[in-house]
This record gives sequence, structure tokens and C-alpha cells, in this order.
Amino acid sequence: MKVSLNWIKDYVPLPEDMDLKSLAYELTMSTVEVEGVTDLAASFDGLIVGEIKEVLPHPNADKLRICRTDIGGGEIREIVCGGSNLAPGMKVVVAKPGAFVRWHGEGEPVEIKEAKLRGVLSYGMICASSETGLSDLFPEKEEAEITDLSAFDAAPGTPVADALDLHDILLEIDNKSMTNRPDLWGHYGIAREIAALYELPLKEIRPFDAGDIKSFPVQIEDPERCPRYIGAELDGVAVKPSPFWMQSRLWRVGQRPINALVDITNYVMMAVGQPTHAFDADNIKGGITVRRAGAGEKLLLLNDKSLELSEDDLVIADDKEAVALAGVMGGALDSILDKTTRVILEVANFEASGVRRTALRYDNRTEASSRYEKAVDIERCDPALSMAMDLFRELYPEMKVTAFTDLQKKQSTVKTVDVELDWLARRLGMRLPEEKIKKKLSLLGFAVSIENDILSVKVPSWRATGDVSMKADIMEEVARMYGYENFEPTPITTSFTGAVNQRETDLLRRIKEYLAFRCNMQEIFTYPWMNDREVEALFPDQKDVLFLSTPPAPNESRIRFSLLPNLCRAIGENERYFDEFSIFEEAEVFFDRDYSHPNDETEALPCQPRHIAGAVVGASDQVVVLFRRMKGILSEMAKYTHMEELRFEKREAPSWADPNAHLTILTGDRLAGHMGVLKKKASLGCGIKEAAAVLFELNFDELIPLKSRTNTFTHLTEVPWTEYDVSMLFDRDTKWETIRETALKKKNAESFLQEVDFVDEYTGAQIPAGKKSVTMRLTIGANEKTLTSEQIEGCAKTVMKFLTKQIGAEARF
Amino acid sequence: MKERLEKLLEQHNERIKNAVSLEKLQELKSNLLGKQGEITELLKEIPKMEASLRPELGKAINQAKNRLSELIEEKREELKLKASEIPETFDCTVPGIAPPAGGLHPITQMRYDLDDAFRSMGFEIYQEDDITSELYAFDKLNFPPNHPARESMDTYWIKDHDEGAVNEKLCLRPHLTGGSVRYMQTHKPPYRFIYPGRVYRNETTDSHHERAFFQYEALIVDKDLTYTAGKVMIRSILSKVFGRDIPVRMRAGFFPFVEPGFEIDMQCQICGGKGCSVCKQVGWIEIMPGGTPHPNVLKAAGLDPDEYTGFYVNIGLDRLVMMRYGVDDVRLFHSADLRFLKQFH
Repeated sequence: MKVSLNWIKDYVPLPEDMDLKSLAYELTMSTVEVEGVTDLAASFDGLIVGEIKEVLPHPNADKLRICRTDIGGGEIREIVCGGSNLAPGMKVVVAKPGAFVRWHGEGEPVEIKEAKLRGVLSYGMICASSETGLSDLFPEKEEAEITDLSAFDAAPGTPVADALDLHDILLEIDNKSMTNRPDLWGHYGIAREIAALYELPLKEIRPFDAGDIKSFPVQIEDPERCPRYIGAELDGVAVKPSPFWMQSRLWRVGQRPINALVDITNYVMMAVGQPTHAFDADNIKGGITVRRAGAGEKLLLLNDKSLELSEDDLVIADDKEAVALAGVMGGALDSILDKTTRVILEVANFEASGVRRTALRYDNRTEASSRYEKAVDIERCDPALSMAMDLFRELYPEMKVTAFTDLQKKQSTVKTVDVELDWLARRLGMRLPEEKIKKKLSLLGFAVSIENDILSVKVPSWRATGDVSMKADIMEEVARMYGYENFEPTPITTSFTGAVNQRETDLLRRIKEYLAFRCNMQEIFTYPWMNDREVEALFPDQKDVLFLSTPPAPNESRIRFSLLPNLCRAIGENERYFDEFSIFEEAEVFFDRDYSHPNDETEALPCQPRHIAGAVVGASDQVVVLFRRMKGILSEMAKYTHMEELRFEKREAPSWADPNAHLTILTGDRLAGHMGVLKKKASLGCGIKEAAAVLFELNFDELIPLKSRTNTFTHLTEVPWTEYDVSMLFDRDTKWETIRETALKKKNAESFLQEVDFVDEYTGAQIPAGKKSVTMRLTIGANEKTLTSEQIEGCAKTVMKFLTKQIGAEARF
Repeated sequence: MKERLEKLLEQHNERIKNAVSLEKLQELKSNLLGKQGEITELLKEIPKMEASLRPELGKAINQAKNRLSELIEEKREELKLKASEIPETFDCTVPGIAPPAGGLHPITQMRYDLDDAFRSMGFEIYQEDDITSELYAFDKLNFPPNHPARESMDTYWIKDHDEGAVNEKLCLRPHLTGGSVRYMQTHKPPYRFIYPGRVYRNETTDSHHERAFFQYEALIVDKDLTYTAGKVMIRSILSKVFGRDIPVRMRAGFFPFVEPGFEIDMQCQICGGKGCSVCKQVGWIEIMPGGTPHPNVLKAAGLDPDEYTGFYVNIGLDRLVMMRYGVDDVRLFHSADLRFLKQFH
């Protein structure tokens, strides 16, 4: 919203020497965010009034003229101009060299220079309204029309800002910062805040007294939606332009002047924040009825929108039909027309949410509806009516009020809030003088009394529609008026009751740090919705999926039940830039099942486990290595993150995994997740071109953090143990686990065998078909004595023989 | 003779000490002890001496010879340890080999930094489900029934759960604050917790607007806390993030769930508060809303607002990370683009 400080001065006497920067700052700190401060006159620098003395033809151009123009003090300059309405004696806007104008009303402002135009030297420029930003005040009736200032009493040479009295400061207020303050949506409300901030008097607006006249027929059928309706029939008006001062003010705050009758209603709205409307009385048949619309009832709005109304809409109707959409917009047929001489002025209160619903229903939000939506108080009709009547009288001295009705169906609620001064002092961290509190609150319109250390505050109607209702609200009023800056920060006191101990939270962080810093994986973030392409490629038969009502894109309606679809999308997007990479993500996933009631029995929330998923990505001929790397990451995870061990079992393959390379991950007996090679079909379906990927996904909620670290100390051996590598041939389908378990059966006191580890496996030209060579490392040793080489070799031979006997291994030399 | 010997010893002692390389030392050695070396020459002179002097002289020369040999060997050991196995041409300016690179998302990093700061002040970390009901997203937070944020233009409602009573309508949480009510309902006051999480808004995206972004909420609730305690909280956060004290200001702001409510601004770090294009010439940048939890919110959490009060801030982590690193497009955070993410290792 734009606020003119000149306008504000109508209601509060701002000192001449007031620092406007500090005014904007104070308002921002205490009330609303002032986003910009504009010196209106400054945008007219270099523009002066000139008087055309003579209009001469241009020797080289038919459409151009040479204007001999008085630019002040009798100084005559020649200015080349293409204006269509140039005439001697006309007063015009002259842009002097150095001034900035918008060329033909378009683009960025350009600097005017003395220059030759078609061979004739031109001093400056004679401007059209669009070139100086004055179009709304001096609309161009035809192309190339020059702004005519002849009506203004200003000598040539007078700056335009002086001639048109444009000395004003405009504040741009962020509308979002006052959605809760319906009272601020007009100049009077802002003036009240300034008056309170600077402790200045605020001008009172005396109520209108209709006197003893005929009543105007008004009926309210829905008092909830329309608590009050004032209808005043005025005779002796006409459609004419409003006076320049009124047009100028409307224009400054962003309203286009239309005609005096409409301008008065807009002016009142901008002044007190109360929308009003004027109907052509000759078109209103009978009286006014405020009623719900019939289903399908038709109404043509002022902006030419033709509506079929809903029964939820409130309309203003005459005896025949709807004439306006209440609180939103007037009808085209019955509002102010060119020939209007009698009007019915409407000053009414409409309920906020109804207006909002109607405005949204027809996508037709207006200055009026956006004010009603904020909940305007019923009493606001009074200053609006009073101001409107004063303006009608001023603009139409012959005007008569011929009928009048103020129908009020509901009284506004009177709220009184009691605040203990002790409580206030405790919450503010300091005790403010009672007189200060009283003064500030009174200036804001609160009626205050103090008795027995209790502050009793009566809330003014304009703050009582939702904004102020309780102690905390009063505290806010006091604090902001005293100045939030003026309260010293108080330290937060601690009371020690023991260390914060949150095992799950800590485990999650340890896992993420383990993956990132020890396993060199990069954490990524993706959205909770998934693209159909990846879902169909990876989980063609997924059940219990939740969808968004209004998804970001039609093919992104499913929200994730697994982190893998978005992970695979990320693989596809990154393989362009990187041959090898590892990524992981941690987030919640969602299932349409197992609803629970965490807080409220009536509320049911779906199953939302937290998952961790990752991918190791590389060249497709490296897939076996990638698999082992991923398995290593998972099998070491428990050790580094202090949680219960993860185990692997080969069970049923998940839908996305290669049938020969996948493992089910368990912790205790519970399913914790899966790992596996992304199968080719799924990979292609996800748009991954070359890269091979091994994926895992864990349900974090199944992982169990340990209460403490579990590492235990074992004594160091006094003598060194020996590592002894042996290679043997096995059947291709013999599993390493079988080999190891078999070999470890020979771990006993006589054999000196301590451990059996995998080194390598090999299938190549030298290996017979159907066989594989496995190299294993035997750790051989005893605790007290050093073994002889015979003893070591003997141990290895025993193990090898046992493997041969038990699972058909052949020694390889 | 003896004098000659002593002079020789002294001279060579010095030379050996100053030998700069093994080669030089070898040269010295052969000059002394080699076939034509000075000591060897001296020994050769013994037979020419008077017989009675010979044993003593011989002994003295041999002692000198041994002494010099010892010195040479000592020096040789010393030089050996000093010597390099690497050619002089080795280029120390070639870059190092970086350890394999993984990392946490920049927002996670910022989160963990803040977690550590708050933990040190005794705060608990709270996490909560992403899908919530309208009851907790809005009603418990004092949002009026027809508040615009409830409409689908702002909130992602879940299909087939988007109609009916407020406790039946489900959505992706539009903010974290509703979760704070859940915490308060299930824990005993006083409260001191932080609550990081992703939130969702159905809006058009551009370089400064995202559909999914991170909030970081901090809440203290206790008896008779003053709102100015919040200033301390905010300063702690910012000094942790930026590594120095950052001027902050609290100004009037409106949010349904706080009363009084604040917009909290920090001094623009681009211009130092003088005014620039980043801060739209005002010298301050809006970074978080905050305030005292609204009495209705405390009531919803089962507390007596006359007895308890508190302070709350809600930090937009994305915005803070953007400001911290100069990231100019918020959409990069959810892009999973490793070229971007690897910059924060």
C-alpha cells in the first residue's frame, strides 16, 4: 500500500522538521514494514512550466513544429515538438536539458539534451503526459497530445512540482506486514500509529448527522454476513472530473481518477480503509435488499465479467435483481453512469470470510474485497460516511440528502482485557512507568484505567475484530510502542539436569557422517514426490502408495515410499559429468497403511519410516567390485556407528535388483533393508545410459543404537602370528561362506589356526571349466610360543586337506 | 715432528667437520690416509728417525691416524643421514593427492553446526514426521479457519485425505511449528529444543522460491521468560554461522502462532549495513520470524499461558546457507547435482 505523508498530515500534525528516514524506520520497527520512501517532487526535477508564444512550421518535417516557448523570465527558446494540440498561449511541461523523461512513455527514462532535430536546434522537450508519468492525471485523448497546464495558475519557469503541488513523500508499505491489522488499510489508521509513536494529537472525525429525513428502504436478510448497511440517497450530483487535489492524491497512492462520484468513494476507502459504493439511484428499483444470491442468478460486474452466482454469494439487490456483489464489486448496469444525477451511497459492513470466498470463487479480488477480508469493524462505517458526506458537499454544494437509513443488525463486541502490572513487568523484563503505558495505549485508542495494580484496557472497535483480545496482545502493544530495541537482552539461564542423551538422533548423524566421511559418499537432497518413469522402472507393483492432490507436475503425483526412484534419477543426471561416484540420501518415506495416533485419537497419520539409501556408481565392467564395496560399507557400518550388527541373507530379490546379485539386510531377526545391483532393465527404464549401480536402502527405524560403545580389549599376542596365503580350486558355485566355515572347523588348540580371510577369487584361462580359484589368508599362531616353519606349514596342510575332504577343494600350485 | 702432527690433527679436524658431502669427505680421507696421504707419508718417515724415538713417534702417529679415522667415520654417518634419496629436481609444487571425496549436503552441515551450538546450551533435538494433519498444521497454531495458507495454492494436500474435518485432512507439513505442539504435548515443561526439518509449499519456483526447503526451529518455554531471551538465542545462532557477532534487530511482525511476533533482521553482510542492492538499500536482511508462542498455541499444548511463556525462532536454513556461501539459486539444493554439492566438502 502506498501512503502519502501529505495526506497523513490531514489527520496528524507532522512537525515540519521531521526526519522522514527515522519515521520510516520507526514505523518499520513498531508497526509495518516500510519498503520504500519516495520523494515525489524529485521525479519531476528539470521539468518546468513553459508558455508557447508562437508555433512555427518545421522547414524539414511536416509533422514537427517549432515552438517559441517562454521558459521563465521572458526567456524565449525554440523547442521542436510533434504535438497535435500545440497552440500559442498554451502552458506546457518543458523538460530542460538534464531532465529525465520516458521517451514516448516507454522504456527507461532518458536524459534530455539540447540537440538538433531534423536540422533545427531544439532546447529541451515539450512533453506528453506519458513521458512524465502524469498519464493518470492528464490522460491523452489522442495520440501525440501534449500535457496542457493552461488551467494552472503558474508563471512560465515554475517547476512542475510546484505548479501541480507535487511536494510529497510516499511510503511503500509491505501489505504482507499488515494482514492482521484491518485498521491500517487507510491513511487514518497509519496516522494513528504515527500519532502514538510521536505522541502527537490525532484529528477526530465527527459522525454524520442525517437529521430528520425520510428513511431509505433497506433490508438485510443475512445479518451474519452483513451486520450493518447505510444507504443514503443523494440528489443534485453529476458526473464531472473531481478537483485536481483529489485526483492528485488518488494518483499518488496508485488509484486512477475516474470521475468525481467514483473518486469520492475511492478517496474515502484510501482515507479510512472502509470501502463504499455509489449506485445510480434512477436505476435502483424500489429499495436495497442485502441477500444471498439465487443459484445461477446472473450479474454483470463493472469490469465486464459476467457471473453465474452461487448461493454462498451475498449480493446487493434492488426490488428486481442483484445490482452488486457485496464487498467485492458493483454491477455494470446500476453503478455510476454518464448521466447520473442521483446516487445511492452505500457504506456497509460485510463479514470477512464470506467476501473472501466470493472474491476467490470468481478470481475477482479488489481493493474493497481485500479490505473486507481482513475483518473491518462495524463502527468504521461512521467515519467513512462522515467523510463521504463532507466530500459530496464540497464537490456538489447543491447536493441534498433526500433519504437515509442506517440499519445495524449487530453490535460490535466490546472487549476489555485486564493485565496485571506484575505480569507485564515479568514478561517485558522491566517495569515501565504507568503513565507511559497509559499514554501510549490511549494514543492508540485503547481506554485505559489502572486500579489495584491491574491495567484494565478497553479495546477500540478497530482493533477488536481479531487483532487484540488477550493479555499477550496488550503486552505486544506496550512493547512495540516503547520500542523493541529498548529492552536489554536477558541471558538464557540453564538448569543442569544431565546431559542430553538422544541415541536415535545421534545414530542417524553418525551413519550420515560415516557414509560421507569414511565411505566417501555424497549426501543429496531430492523432493518427496517421484517421477512416474523411475517408479514404474523400479517398483512396477508397489502397493499402499500415497498421492498428492495437486502435484507439481502430472507425472509427479506419487510421494515416495522408497528413496531409490529419486536416487536413480540423480544417477542418470550425474553420469554425464562423473564416471564414478557414490551418493546417499536420508528422508522419510510414506505408506498408505499402518495409521497411528501420535497425539490425538481422532487424528490418524500414515506410516512414515525414515529411510537411508545410497548408490555406488561406476563402469559396468566393475560391477562385482562395486558390489563388494557396497557390501563393505554396510557390513562395517555397525562397528563405526555403534548400532546392532547388520547381517546379510540371500532371500527374495527386490523388484529393482539383478536376480543374481542382491542381499537382504537384517538386524537381529528384523528386516532392515536390501542391497543389490540395479538390474539392467530398471536402469534403462530410469534413463541411466552407461553406468552400473549398486544400491542399498535401509529402514532407519529398524536400526538399534547401542547404549554405549561395545569394543572390548583383547590382550596383544606376545609372539607374532603368521599370515599364510593358500590358493585352491573349488566348484564355481561353492560359496565363500561355506569355504570359510569349513576351514574354521580346524580352529583348535593343536592346529594353531586363528582366522581365515578372503583374498581373491579368479576364473580365467588357466582354471578348468566349472571351477574357480580362491586365495585365502590363514592366520596361524599360538599365544606363548613362536611356531616353527614346519608347524606353520603343517597347519596349512591340515586345513587344505580338510577342505579337500569336506568340499572337494583341489590344491593349486 | 710432534708439532707437525698436532698441527695436522688440528687442521684436519676442522676440515672434516666442514666437509659438505660424502665425496668431499672421501677426498679428505685419501689425502690423509691414502697411499700418498699425509699420515702415510709421516709413517714412511719413521724408519729415518732415531731408533729410540721411533716407538713413541709411531704410537703418536698411529693414535693420530685412529683419531682422524674416527672423525671421518663420524662425519660420514652424519652426512649419510643428511643426504636425500630424492633428486634435486623434484617438483614440490605438483598438487597433492586428495583423499577420496564424499560429504554432507551443505544444509546438513549448517544444521549440524547449529545442532552443536544448541546442544552446548542444553537443547534437545527433535524430529517429526513430514505428513501431518490440518489440525496440527493450522488449527493448533491459531490459524483462523479460512486462513489463505490452508488453501491448496500453498499446501500440498494428500489425495483421498484432502476433505473432511481438520483432523482427517493430511498434508506435507507446510512448516515445522505444528510439530512443536506435538513435542509439548508429549513432554513436560520447561522445554528447550530445536527442531530441524524439511517443509513443503505448493508454489511456483524460481531462484528464491522452492517447493521443499529446510526450516530450523528453536523453542524455549519456561515460567516468566522475557522475550528478550530470544535476542540471546538469535545472536548465538548467527555468531555460530558467521563466526563473528552479527548485529540483529527485532521488529514488529505478524504470524498467527506468536504474540508478540517479530521479523528478525540481520545486518547485511554484503555492504556491512550501508545499503546495497542485496538488501534493497536498507542495510538489513530479513532472516527469520520469531516471537513468544501465542497463548492459544500454549493452550493447545496443554500449558497455562499465564504461567508459561517462551521464545521461538524459525530459521530458513536454505536462506542462511545461501547467504553464507553466496549461492544464488535455491533450487540447487534439491538438484542432486554433484558439481554443486562437491563444492562444500
